[in-house]
Amino acid sequence: MTPPLWSQRAARLTIVVLALLLLIEGRLWVMQAVQGPAYLRLSEQNRLRDYVVPAPRGVLYDRKGRPLVTSRAAFTISVLPMEVREPARLAERLAPLVGLEPQEITARIAAGRQRPFEPVPLRRDADKAAVITIEEQRLDLPGVVVQAEPVRHYPLGTHAAHLVGYLGEITEEELRTRPGYRPGDLIGKTGIERTYDAVLRGHAGRLRVEVDAAGRPVRVLGREAARPGQSLVLAIDADLQAVAEQALGTQAGAVVAMDPRTGDVLALASHPAYAPALFAGGISAANWRRLIADRALPLLNRATEGTYEPGSVFKVVTGLAALAEGLATRDTVFHCTGALRLGRWVFRDLAAYGTVNFIRGTAVSCNVMFWTLGQAVGEARLYRYATMLGLGQPTGIDLPAEAAGLVPNAAWKQRVWKEPWYPGDTLNMSIGQGWVLVTPLQVARMMAAVATDGVLVRPRLVRRIVAPDGRVLAEPAPRIDGRLALPAAAVRTLREGLRAVVDGGTGAAAAVPGLAIAGKTGSAENPRGLPHAWFAGYAPADRPALVVVVFVEHGRRGGAAAAPIARAVFAAAAPTLLAATGEVSRP
Amino acid sequence: MRAAWTRDVDWPLVAATVLLAAYGVVVLVSATHGAPGAAALVRGRALHLAVGTVALLVAARLDYRRLAAAAPLLYAGALLALGAVLVVGDSRLGAQRWIALGPVGSVQPSELAKLVVIVTLARHLDAARTLPRLRALVPYAVHVAVPALLIVRQPDLGTALVLLAILAAMLYVAGARPVDLAAAAAGGAALLPLLWGALHDYQRRRLLAFLDPYADPLGAGYAIIQAKIAVGSGQLFGKGLFAGTQNVLRFIPEQHTDFIFTVVGEELGFVGATVLLGLYGVWIWRALAIAAGARDRLGGLMATGIGAMMGFHVVVNIGMTVGLLPVTGIPLPLLSYGGTSLLATLAATGLLLGIRARAWGARG
Repeated sequence: MTPPLWSQRAARLTIVVLALLLLIEGRLWVMQAVQGPAYLRLSEQNRLRDYVVPAPRGVLYDRKGRPLVTSRAAFTISVLPMEVREPARLAERLAPLVGLEPQEITARIAAGRQRPFEPVPLRRDADKAAVITIEEQRLDLPGVVVQAEPVRHYPLGTHAAHLVGYLGEITEEELRTRPGYRPGDLIGKTGIERTYDAVLRGHAGRLRVEVDAAGRPVRVLGREAARPGQSLVLAIDADLQAVAEQALGTQAGAVVAMDPRTGDVLALASHPAYAPALFAGGISAANWRRLIADRALPLLNRATEGTYEPGSVFKVVTGLAALAEGLATRDTVFHCTGALRLGRWVFRDLAAYGTVNFIRGTAVSCNVMFWTLGQAVGEARLYRYATMLGLGQPTGIDLPAEAAGLVPNAAWKQRVWKEPWYPGDTLNMSIGQGWVLVTPLQVARMMAAVATDGVLVRPRLVRRIVAPDGRVLAEPAPRIDGRLALPAAAVRTLREGLRAVVDGGTGAAAAVPGLAIAGKTGSAENPRGLPHAWFAGYAPADRPALVVVVFVEHGRRGGAAAAPIARAVFAAAAPTLLAATGEVSRP
Repeated sequence: MRAAWTRDVDWPLVAATVLLAAYGVVVLVSATHGAPGAAALVRGRALHLAVGTVALLVAARLDYRRLAAAAPLLYAGALLALGAVLVVGDSRLGAQRWIALGPVGSVQPSELAKLVVIVTLARHLDAARTLPRLRALVPYAVHVAVPALLIVRQPDLGTALVLLAILAAMLYVAGARPVDLAAAAAGGAALLPLLWGALHDYQRRRLLAFLDPYADPLGAGYAIIQAKIAVGSGQLFGKGLFAGTQNVLRFIPEQHTDFIFTVVGEELGFVGATVLLGLYGVWIWRALAIAAGARDRLGGLMATGIGAMMGFHVVVNIGMTVGLLPVTGIPLPLLSYGGTSLLATLAATGLLLGIRARAWGARG
């Protein structure tokens, strides 16, 4: 008996359904047995996040081991672009918490899409309230991560701001030119932070975390600790730095204090300054605009990046050249009548000092005497001595963006002004006017060369590189860039003259009882306003251990504006100077 | 009599049902462990199993012919319940599919409507002896279309499609000419563009996501991609119960309901999935074998409808999980969480046992 139709058909239907099940079974075989390993990798990628653990930057210490710049723990709010589902909505919510415009946030997320698992920092050093709010709203903020990340701490406030410099997020340009950095990294932008960035930054660690579908960390699967950056022991003496800054006060200008024997820069002050802490967590757009729009140029390091007319400070070059070339001696007589005639022109001095020898003429800064000497030396030799003493070129200090200054000569004038060099130009140059431009640091180096009888030392800020555990990794020897072959008598005479400047001359205001100081004042006429005031000197005069250069923008008279600041620095250093050199006080 | 009843039991079907239900409990525990409210879900499953077992026993004892006699009443009741859903239903996940019944919890009438359609359509088809022409199929199509449209309105496209599959299978077994069925299917396909316009936005996104999940990997394509990753990464032997990272870390949405198969695939691997498919295969084979061996055409049609229903659910649910079919929200019977679905499946099992017992009883 044949089964009824419905029975046959039910049996056929069984085959159809079982065939479909077999088809699925085949698909499972392909997915699980054949492609299984690939899917396993995908599932690992899903759940594993490798976070970068930023390394604390090295500490900056002064020469006595006192911290100038340290790092402190802070929180950074970042987003993982891969996990952001609705950037626009997320940006709206995050904007008030991170202090950015929503458009800025969406732009950063979009920019980070190329590396979807790398956190894109939105706010460094976020305040606690923002961090707590984010943790509370975790579920509504997929892709947002909060990481502990050290930021710079400045225990001394604006102290030494220009020399330590500040940090900022790495730019596209810097990423291209500096290998080993990642987008979002903080990098030294100026000062020591920039020059020594590679030493200070350390090596970032990694943290492998298992996360759930909402991107919430579930557990840590592995970690590679961050290696902190190396620390630097600077040549700076924090006490002397403070004295220099305080003495400069509210005047725009710079103070350089340097050991002429080693090039150690003990103080490097520049005013006005800024608070580097403003940059610690990423500077706000408003603060940045305010800083760069400030006409007082607070970001300019006047000691190394500012170039100014040296005025009478340049007479050191003129005097040395004349003495060394045998065109004058200690006792050559000059008639300081108050004016010098050159062809149809009359060059007028500030005063008539009568008949003087080289020493007296230097002490009173007699222009007639230096014009006369300059005329004798001539443009070419003035240029040679100035450049020999390091003017017109960067000193090579370990700071970025150092200015070169300018020492003119006939060739330069022809090239730039298309004019021949006139005898009047030589007169101008011999008293530091005309086109001569120097940085206060260059002047310090020049004075150091005089103080050491011709050793051209390279100024430096870092004395030692120290590992996080305190081991000394490097202790570079002082760099000598040259030894000038100067007749001993010439240097002796010049130094006697400089000694007379402070001992009853124009630099009397720099005098510190018990400490023999030599120096030179300057009042540099300039086209931008009142003359700049200069003082450049060293002490103890016989065995110099400290050069001090003071520059006061529009300070008018070196003796009145700059010398007292130098006195403050010399006075602060006097005990050390006297103890170290065994100098006995002489009235 | 008692001895005869136990002799007439279809033991392979019972074994497959029990093992599938047990499998379901284990996988549910894994899918929900660590999640808030997991204990309540497991307790709920135990309660559903208890109620479902009662329903199974009642359905097995019930004479399916007397049940068919009540067809007009059942059909009216089902339409009333489906209509009520649209008026007083609970909204969950953007769809109105549940009716809250106080302490009993909530009921999903569309799940029960599938059974009602099977019983009433069997009776309807049983009355007609032949299906000579395409035109003759129209009344049966209408019979199914009315509840199906009410279900589409919820919206629950998946369950409505199950009804179409049941209709096709039962018409075929009832004797419809395959050429007519093919023509009807072609006609339906021609209507697809119209259907596209009637679809909800999310349904269109799902279909597009099926074609290219990576076009919107974090939106509509997300579930498909993550489900495939879960199943594929299980490889041959799985990552072990409770050890599926995709599951435990909640990368799969709806992992304890429509996407429960991902847990099986990830944690128990190809071997576990094959065992599961095998159990379903046994279940469906027994259902259609009971259809073939039924004493009368009515029982044969009912068993066919039940077997087709199970087959469609299993193929479509797992098919979407492994990326063979678009995502359609229908449960995997006996495994997915859902009280009404479990109750309906167990009641259907009871009906099958009853049909089988009466066929054997008649012969004996």
